[in-house]
Amino acid sequence: MTVRSRVFDETLLAVEGISLSFGGVKALTDISFDIRKGEIRAIIGPNGAGKSSMLNCINGFYHPQQGAITYKGVRRSQMRPHEAAEQGIARTFQNIALFKGMSTLDNIMTGRNLRMKTGLFWQALHFGPAQREEIEHRRAVERIIDFLEIQHIRKVPVGRLPYGLQKRVELGRALAAQPELLLLDEPMAGMNIEEKQDMCRFVLDVNDEFGTTICLIEHDMGVVMDISDRVVVLDYGKKIGDGVPDEIKRNQAVIDAYLGVSH
Amino acid sequence: MLGPFLETLIGGLLTGVLYSLVALGFVLIFKASGVFNFAQGAMVLFAALTIARLAGAIDNKEVFLGQFVAAAAVLGVALALVGWYVWREYMARGGGGDERRKVLLLSLLGAVAGGAAAYAYGKGAWPMWLAIAATAAIMGLLAYAIERLVLRHLVNQEGIILFMATLGIAYFLDGFGQTLWGSDIYKINLGLPKDPIFLFEGVFPGGLLVDPGDLVAAVIAAVLVIVLALFFQKTRIGRALRAVADDHAAAQSVGIPLNMIWLVVWTVSGLVALAAGLIWGAKLGVQFSISLIALKALPVLILGGFTSVPGAIVGGLIIGAGEKLSEVFLAPILVKQFDLAGGGIENWFAYMLALVFLLFRPQGLFGERIIERV
Repeated sequence: MTVRSRVFDETLLAVEGISLSFGGVKALTDISFDIRKGEIRAIIGPNGAGKSSMLNCINGFYHPQQGAITYKGVRRSQMRPHEAAEQGIARTFQNIALFKGMSTLDNIMTGRNLRMKTGLFWQALHFGPAQREEIEHRRAVERIIDFLEIQHIRKVPVGRLPYGLQKRVELGRALAAQPELLLLDEPMAGMNIEEKQDMCRFVLDVNDEFGTTICLIEHDMGVVMDISDRVVVLDYGKKIGDGVPDEIKRNQAVIDAYLGVSH
Repeated sequence: MLGPFLETLIGGLLTGVLYSLVALGFVLIFKASGVFNFAQGAMVLFAALTIARLAGAIDNKEVFLGQFVAAAAVLGVALALVGWYVWREYMARGGGGDERRKVLLLSLLGAVAGGAAAYAYGKGAWPMWLAIAATAAIMGLLAYAIERLVLRHLVNQEGIILFMATLGIAYFLDGFGQTLWGSDIYKINLGLPKDPIFLFEGVFPGGLLVDPGDLVAAVIAAVLVIVLALFFQKTRIGRALRAVADDHAAAQSVGIPLNMIWLVVWTVSGLVALAAGLIWGAKLGVQFSISLIALKALPVLILGGFTSVPGAIVGGLIIGAGEKLSEVFLAPILVKQFDLAGGGIENWFAYMLALVFLLFRPQGLFGERIIERV
């Protein structure tokens, strides 16, 4: 594997001094980092480090008590989830959050929800503009299905699919929104090596072909070091490292956090 | 023997369609929010009461305030809808800024205008179409209030907590309707033909007796059901509703505004309640017992499945036909064989059937299969 060394200049999203606590538990303390347009940015850290909380702040599920997030030049202290989606932020979840009763196709179609514009009136009649629009979006969804190689499960209710495929459908749903920033919460957790390789390929392809900026949380160090451009490391809600993979590998604080250190 | 049997069957099926209509309201809300809405029956009563009082106006002493409120609501909601549509178009064309304020202002103006119109209109009884339109607007407002004051604060809570909330809403609505409109028994006159129709007089002696009112009601219900089923299966908003039912967080992450969806669902089920209230009210008179019809919807739901619109229909038909047939044909046999006091089968038959279904097919006829991974 070659070590990727690409340079990105334009900041897409900047996190400034974010602190988040639940009651007395501090999940995040004064976190600052940035995500640049076009890069693959990884967030790593031991269990309970606050990685998912960080993603939830970016995507508007959690509202941090302090700090602000600047996205596409607009500085906000909080944002609601559907607003984040409207602004081009899509995500997947650590424990798959698909619509289990619905087919693969319908799940991915929900990802196009924001791009469909016909009003309630035509929707109710399901005729004219609404029908044309449905067909047009169906085409986009079929492209994603081809891209992710899940043609054969198009009509299967996702509740019946094996875990690895569900993860792939979830990625498809996020891609359907044609996001500018894609947040992936442990996209490879619980997968076997073959599935992981597939997923890595998809993540890299999405980044290359669509130019989508990706921020991912992952535990598999091999994967993280291979595919990400820059890595930020959290431990107990604090940032302990930030840099390109090679720097992170040599960072003593990071090594201590992962291996444990005797005090 | 065949003649009376068919007659009972038809009567039962027509009643069954009306059960379906009530059950439909439950299904809609259950599909979209996973909540069993105990308040559905109260909504039916509230809608029926509102229509009866607006259109009936037997004595107008205390109705006046109600009409005032209703008219204000109609215009307010109508203008808010127009404003919302304009705002959406505006945003779709790349406009920026928050136009919500203007929409609110517009609807406020509408409310004032509506109030003025009501004042000018005076105390007369409203024509039926206007009463129905006003009630529809009021049901929309009610949905908004429920979403805003109750549901919004309970996002991601346990189902049982949401259920308790709807229990509260049910009792509030029962009482509030009477506070607003009075507690007598009112009539709704839809001008439906009352004379029974006789079918197939050539085939059966005396023909089959069918109540035309039931027939009209059945047609209305059938149309509603077909439209709703298509809406849920085929459209973007329908898909969004199903998505919200499955997973709140995931739905939000793909940009489905939860509050908006709940508003749509509660409004639609309010309108279904209105249709049910209208028909039941015309049939039985508007009185408190209408809200108990909601309990008849329970076995219908268990039969049909809580998440299936077609299931609500078929379940309603089976229950309707089953209880009539059992009352007419099974009861005399039982009474004779076991030397019982009387019938009353109609009252428990539906629940027995539901119980049997629970034992053998808990997801109902059309419900989603329950798949659990261990």
